Amino acid sequence: MALPKRIIKETERLVAEPVPGIEAVPHEDNLRYFDVSIHGPAQSPYEGGVFKLELFLPEDYPMTPPKIRFLTKIYHPNIDRLGRICLDVLKANWSPALQIRTILLSIQALLGAPNPDDPLANDVAQRWKEDEPGAIATAREWTQKHAAP
Amino acid sequence: MSKAKVPRNFRLLEELEKGEKGLGAESCSYGLDDGDDIMMSNWTGTILGPPHSAHENRIYSVRIHCSEQYPEQPPSVTFISRVNLPCVDQTTGAVDATKLPCLAQWRYEYTMEHVLVELRRSMGIPQNKKLPQPPEGSTF
Repeated sequence: MALPKRIIKETERLVAEPVPGIEAVPHEDNLRYFDVSIHGPAQSPYEGGVFKLELFLPEDYPMTPPKIRFLTKIYHPNIDRLGRICLDVLKANWSPALQIRTILLSIQALLGAPNPDDPLANDVAQRWKEDEPGAIATAREWTQKHAAP
Repeated sequence: MSKAKVPRNFRLLEELEKGEKGLGAESCSYGLDDGDDIMMSNWTGTILGPPHSAHENRIYSVRIHCSEQYPEQPPSVTFISRVNLPCVDQTTGAVDATKLPCLAQWRYEYTMEHVLVELRRSMGIPQNKKLPQPPEGSTF
């Protein structure tokens, strides 16, 4: 199947000019399907962890956003138990002007700035609001346990 | 030109969301066994027995397993509830994939819902709908 030029360009640029702390490699047998890893941002509870994600560009990309989820377990109010991510730019605020690169940067930023007021994982968000130091400690433990590089 | 091929995990996420929202067939439902199972391999489905058959008003549970090769390969399906159907092994409850057309002629775009709907249909076809059935609520 012919891959749209836009996807080819984006992939080339991801490889040629990688974003620091982010890797995205397409599967050989499905060039719309990427293995992604994101390094936890410094000064966040995810620091030191490398998180694996998977990303898929649907048929009508870039008219619809990429699909993306975490494969590594992570304790975060905006990421649920199946690794699904609550992020505006992946839903209502998606625009075809955004790219794989910008989305991955947004996810990295989300790790640095959890938003318990717009939760996907309700139990985590509630704890984040009631006992932030405790929640951060758990996020750190999970990072060590599940995201060790 | 063929369409973009949705990888296994994103396909299963789509099926999960459809199942959770109850967007599928009214008479069948399915859900993930373990909400922490990142690979989404094991599911439980339910089938409401079709009307005007020995299955009317019965609710059957089935176990569905989606391997790493799903949806290249069909899921494996096993009845938990006892049922007397030609495609179901009467000792184990396993559905014989060679005897259910959607499994025997599996296609990438078929879903777990397809399988449940077809199992329900097979309960209601003339040669099966009057088969004697084990006591309601018994299990394999």
